[in-house]
Amino acid sequence: MISTIKAMSWRMVVAAAAILMVPFAALAGTYNITVDPVVIDTGDFKKDGIGYNGASPGPVLRFKEGEEVTINVKNNLDVSTSIHWHGLILPFQMDGVPTISFDGIKPGETFTYKFPIIQSGTYWYHSHSGFQEPDGAFGAIIIDSKDREPFRYDREYVVQLTDKHPHSGARIMRNLKMSADYYNRVQRTAKDFFADVSKMGLGDTLSDRGDWGQMRMMPTDIEDLQGFTPLINGKGPKQNWTGLFKKGERIRLRFINSSAMTYFDIRIPGMKMLVVNADGNNVQPVKVDEFRIAVAETYDVIVRPDEDKAYTIFAASMGRTAYARGTLAPRIGMSAAIPKLTKSPRLTMADMGMAHEGMDHGSMAGMDHSKMKGMDQSKMKGMDQSKMKGMDHSGHNMPKKPAFYAPGSGLIPKAKNGGKFLSYGDLRAQRPLYKHRKPTREIELRLTGNMERYIWSVNGIKYGDAEPIRLKYGERVRFKFVNETMMTHPMHLHGMWSILDVGAKKWNPVKHVVSVSPGTTVHMETEVDAPGQWAFHCHLSFHAAAGMFRKVIVEGGPKAAMLAR
Amino acid sequence: MTKTFLGALTVITLIWVFAAPDAKAQETNLTFYGVQMEELEYRRGDEGENLFNYDGEAFFGTDEFKLRWLGKAEIDTDAGIVDEMENRFVGQIPISDFFDLKAGMRWDRPKGNNHYFGVIGLTGLAQQWFEVDADIFVSEAKKVSLRIDAEYEMLLTNRLVLTPSAEIEFGAGDDEKHEIGAGLSTMEVGLRLSYDLVDRAISPYVGVVYEGKFFNRKDMAKEEGEDVDALFFAVGTKIMF
Amino acid sequence: MQGHGMQGQRMHGGSGANGEPGKKSQVNRTIKVEMHDNFYKPEKFSIKDGETIRFVVANKGRLVHEFNVATRKQHMGHQKEMMMMVEHGVLEPDKINHDKMMMKMPNGETMEHNDPNSVLLEPGKTGEVIWKFSKKVDLEIGCNVPGHYDAGMVSKVTFK
Repeated sequence: MISTIKAMSWRMVVAAAAILMVPFAALAGTYNITVDPVVIDTGDFKKDGIGYNGASPGPVLRFKEGEEVTINVKNNLDVSTSIHWHGLILPFQMDGVPTISFDGIKPGETFTYKFPIIQSGTYWYHSHSGFQEPDGAFGAIIIDSKDREPFRYDREYVVQLTDKHPHSGARIMRNLKMSADYYNRVQRTAKDFFADVSKMGLGDTLSDRGDWGQMRMMPTDIEDLQGFTPLINGKGPKQNWTGLFKKGERIRLRFINSSAMTYFDIRIPGMKMLVVNADGNNVQPVKVDEFRIAVAETYDVIVRPDEDKAYTIFAASMGRTAYARGTLAPRIGMSAAIPKLTKSPRLTMADMGMAHEGMDHGSMAGMDHSKMKGMDQSKMKGMDQSKMKGMDHSGHNMPKKPAFYAPGSGLIPKAKNGGKFLSYGDLRAQRPLYKHRKPTREIELRLTGNMERYIWSVNGIKYGDAEPIRLKYGERVRFKFVNETMMTHPMHLHGMWSILDVGAKKWNPVKHVVSVSPGTTVHMETEVDAPGQWAFHCHLSFHAAAGMFRKVIVEGGPKAAMLAR
Repeated sequence: MTKTFLGALTVITLIWVFAAPDAKAQETNLTFYGVQMEELEYRRGDEGENLFNYDGEAFFGTDEFKLRWLGKAEIDTDAGIVDEMENRFVGQIPISDFFDLKAGMRWDRPKGNNHYFGVIGLTGLAQQWFEVDADIFVSEAKKVSLRIDAEYEMLLTNRLVLTPSAEIEFGAGDDEKHEIGAGLSTMEVGLRLSYDLVDRAISPYVGVVYEGKFFNRKDMAKEEGEDVDALFFAVGTKIMF
Repeated sequence: MQGHGMQGQRMHGGSGANGEPGKKSQVNRTIKVEMHDNFYKPEKFSIKDGETIRFVVANKGRLVHEFNVATRKQHMGHQKEMMMMVEHGVLEPDKINHDKMMMKMPNGETMEHNDPNSVLLEPGKTGEVIWKFSKKVDLEIGCNVPGHYDAGMVSKVTFK
């Protein structure tokens, strides 16, 4: 009797141990990635490039929140490489930035990344060496949440965008250094001059040309890089990436912008999109007709096709020089009409607001300064003031909303169908990651550059000549980005979240890329809770390489994390 | 002569060593190079002359310091003689948002002779998009001359470009050895219409060029039985890579 | 416990084709409902024609949610009203500003809600809806806080 009980207990102990081990076995995956030379076929041209596991984009890595991942990366190139896990919170030695996180992965070597997954959502990974990322070295990451998501869907697709160019990244950098407008084929021509004369008259046209000529800047300077073929999941518009669906299904589209230089305005004619996630973090759902995705950002949307037909996913580059195109359809081989690209936008003097290097204000006769003052009145367009007599607005605790475009900017997006275009101001964290508190200090970072020399910098200093930014573990830093250039910069801080100030206090969205438009000042706050050293840079590949980059050193923090570096 | 040449090279090297950023920054600051031919053309003169001309450059360096070769030549294809050949070797540093300062030496080799000069000058983009290059030359005999180059690119379309250009040379005094006259010496004015055929790498063009000699230089030419001015039709290509 | 509803003609979900407010004395059964971010527990509602159900609704999420019994069309209309509440600062993600609700709107009404077919609850609060169902019309139980309905916080009422 006693021996039976003993045997049963023993078995129970073994069974209990086995059951306890199961979750550990499931939550520790090993993934193998090789970095290989590949050939990329865009449908317009073929180009040698770099891929993962023999292809570009690389494989979709799927992790579970709570998993301890081991990723073995073998370098089959003849140059050093690296992989950075964009948006992931991990120990700094695993962040994959050569000279900041580690020494890189030498040719023939295998480096093993090992870190716990403590978040969920859509992210991506890419090389942080040389120009390997524009040359094709990138892929997607999906992390499944341990909790139920606050939105329903029946199927999902990764929609990863890139701007593949017939020139290699190194060649593009060299060409831009030789001539900053090397790739700009939408410059103003004699035809534009005469069109303007008939529209504005000769005097105003000459005055306008004179104003821009004095600054030696161009209102057509929106895309540094043109001539690329935008791809969706590795397929060009002609190759038509297609995702299948059943009528009435909810589809989660995980948009990732893995471009080197290009912002895209995305819409699906005939279908509204419910934005539920931005930069990996859930946002309170907001329904839109169109949204702009900056370089390195991600947006997850839910769509619900209610007809048994094909829909076109249309991603027009911000400068309207090219488009990416995919299809959602009930069956393979179907396609819907492809919209035509609209006219290229132009920068205005409002975008030049702070780009005043060497400008002689006295002779700026053509500039209407009144347009550049705070335009609070126009923002109230949505509310018809005359009808609101009964409401005492002064009592409203409506915080002043930050502007993400200079008033009068030529870049302000409008939905093509007249509907709603997503703004940063619409984003609210579904679940704030941090308690809202006052920042411990503010750091101002002026985004600077010299377009003619193609030099890009922070506070007028290039990365190679700059001191690192030093932060203290435990502080909450408020970063103030002041864009003194006429380009839009997607600023990316590694290793720690960027809580974007949209005026919603504790509901401010938690992101990893903050896009700063010309002539604007944007704030974001970071809880400094990741020891070590981190990269902080503009994610436009050729701006980062030209100097718009900083090393961030976090001083202090738990001893365990301070392993020799 | 060789002494001046070596001297200039030493100066440039010294500038490079002291102006160059430290080693750590070197690994993060970009080094880049480029080759451009502004003119690579065949010229047919109004009196039947056949010439081959080039005017181009190559550079190597960083944002802070570049080593640059600027060269031009004129070859009489009928006679098979190099009428003019000029090479400038300069070190160049930025001094403002749009302008660089350059200094170095110039080595001419016309018709088999060797002439050496010191060079100091500016290059950059002036307001209203005029590309400007200005150099002061000092010959071995300490004779000074000034040359100003200006160019403007007018976009007829995004690929079809009309480029007027002018190059004017002044002498501080007469310098017969180097064919420079006091005051306004020579002027070359060109108008070229180019088309970007392969990116901006190859842009073929057609154009007209006027060369004129003035005042003392004009007299010098007359004494030698040379033309005082000439008009050419030009066809060639721009190169950039 | 706060009921919410718009007074006057604009009121949605009043008596009519989709049933009517139920009487406490006639309750056939009670269904306990939890509201989470952004879904209901239980997710399915199966009702007999003519039943009077007492829904005891508890908000276990971190955001404000609504439990609203109405037709799809009524939900769509109510979503516009809820959007306006957000724009006027009446509705914050986790708070209902009751004082703002009492402000008069241009049509003379306030944004106060006290409809019998729905409750709008802050996190941690509990409310009650007593409703007599009639099979005549397709009904949905949904949350019209902006974005929630589209995110899937809606359940079709199936009649047994």
